[in-house]
Amino acid sequence: MSSDEDFDPHVLAEEEFIEEVQSFEFWFGAVEGYLSGKSYGHDPEAVDLPMDEVERDRLITTLCHYCVGETAALEGASGLVSLAPNHPAKIFMATQVVDEARHLEVFLRRLNDLGVEDTATEIQRQANPALVEFKDALLKLVASGDWDAAVFAQNVILETMEFTVFRAHARTADAVTAEILEGVISDERRHFGFGENDLGRRLAHDPAARARLRDVRQNLDGLVLGVFEGALADLEVPASDRHVLGRDYLETVERLGLTR
Amino acid sequence: MTNFLSQYSIQRWMEMCPQGYLENTVYGRGPDEHEPEAILDDAEQREAAIAATVQLVVGERCALAASSGLINAAPDYPSKRFLATQTLDEARHVEVFTQRLLDLGVKRDDLETTINDHANPNLVKFAEVLLEKVANGDFLAGVVGQNIVLEGMAFTVFELLETASHEINPKFAHTLTGTIADERRHVGFGENRIGSLVREHPEKKPEIEQMQKEMTYHMLATFADVFSGPLVEPAEPRTDDADFHGTNLATATPEEMEAVLSDTVLGEFKMRLDRIGLEYQSPPVPA
Repeated sequence: MSSDEDFDPHVLAEEEFIEEVQSFEFWFGAVEGYLSGKSYGHDPEAVDLPMDEVERDRLITTLCHYCVGETAALEGASGLVSLAPNHPAKIFMATQVVDEARHLEVFLRRLNDLGVEDTATEIQRQANPALVEFKDALLKLVASGDWDAAVFAQNVILETMEFTVFRAHARTADAVTAEILEGVISDERRHFGFGENDLGRRLAHDPAARARLRDVRQNLDGLVLGVFEGALADLEVPASDRHVLGRDYLETVERLGLTR
Repeated sequence: MTNFLSQYSIQRWMEMCPQGYLENTVYGRGPDEHEPEAILDDAEQREAAIAATVQLVVGERCALAASSGLINAAPDYPSKRFLATQTLDEARHVEVFTQRLLDLGVKRDDLETTINDHANPNLVKFAEVLLEKVANGDFLAGVVGQNIVLEGMAFTVFELLETASHEINPKFAHTLTGTIADERRHVGFGENRIGSLVREHPEKKPEIEQMQKEMTYHMLATFADVFSGPLVEPAEPRTDDADFHGTNLATATPEEMEAVLSDTVLGEFKMRLDRIGLEYQSPPVPA
């Protein structure tokens, strides 16, 4: 990996670009930039401002949904390591595994900070059914050994949903939660970048795979919509603004040629 | 269990590993360190270094597949999170040893062929025994195979290679120092987490001990193959002292090196298996 801080990997030829960005060294350099000195995703000296009970309960509900999503992402990514078609992709997925585990850890820790002791029970009690159903669908795709479909569900659909919701939340969240979310958002950007890049290259030469992924998309769209609606309602995003937030997802599937 | 597993959090891993002993390294070594010219300029020594490094890549690829494959089988979230850190550690090891092959002059396009040509068949079988347990979602057998047997072997092999390389190849020795620190953490998790699970599932003992016996057989056969190859002498006789459990690796014969390596690994296995309530099973002596 280049040690030059101003180095832009996009100037590299395709094969060299992949070797560069799908490496532990690249991950290491990236996370050092925004996680160094943080404790569980935030400045250890940061102080929580008082929160009323309604705000606290709403945040707990939202964090429980995030934990379900991150558990799906962790289990999905770990299964994808062995499915990856080459070693740079395996190494990238290994970096994603630890990112997803970190997200789960920081959200669980935040739940502890908010007074939730039995996080497992609380998450189970509050889990959004659409998200649980999406998790099951994702893990089925991973178990079926279909790399393209599983990467689409994990690194395009799930990661884009999380990216969109976390960004919307970070704008209105308390300072500690917002700082945690900013670190997670930086990771998610890397993940869906990988998904779009990997699938884009593969689908360009495989029209049959594109048709298959359109079907996957159609099957999952209802769940995606349900998850978006639930998450954005929790965050009290006005209904009139919600379609704007789903734009990242729609633009990505369009770039991949997965619209009907 | 919860308190012990809190020592294996992502936060602690970040502080110890990327922000600790790997800080300011590139591919696990100093940014300005290179393979010694004595190896690069001598075709026989270079070939021997490539062959040895391929075995490390094969072992680490197995460890990457096993640790990632065990995450979904883990019975609790702290174990999943630890295995996530182990997955990335193993991916890093694959990367740094693959990079060493490139540093030794292997062309990127020839990587897979070089690995396939040099991979020891017994080491491949060793990996297959473990990965079968992982594919079956057998967490208990998988963690014993991965974190006690495979990691115990890797830990000792890396220590031997680090000792042997300290004076003559500081770049490779420094790469190994980081991997040894990782492996120490992995072995510790295996011992701590599995002991309680073995007590909860004593009926699993015979199957796990059989797996350990098969893996040990293939490991010893790998050692026998590696040390029975042609002896590659350095251009200059070594005069340094590279003591490894009472054997000076700078002057030891291949037979002496194989003996000290096997004895050390088997000693580690017996001690660690005993700690988790399993009895070491001796395999037949490889032909």
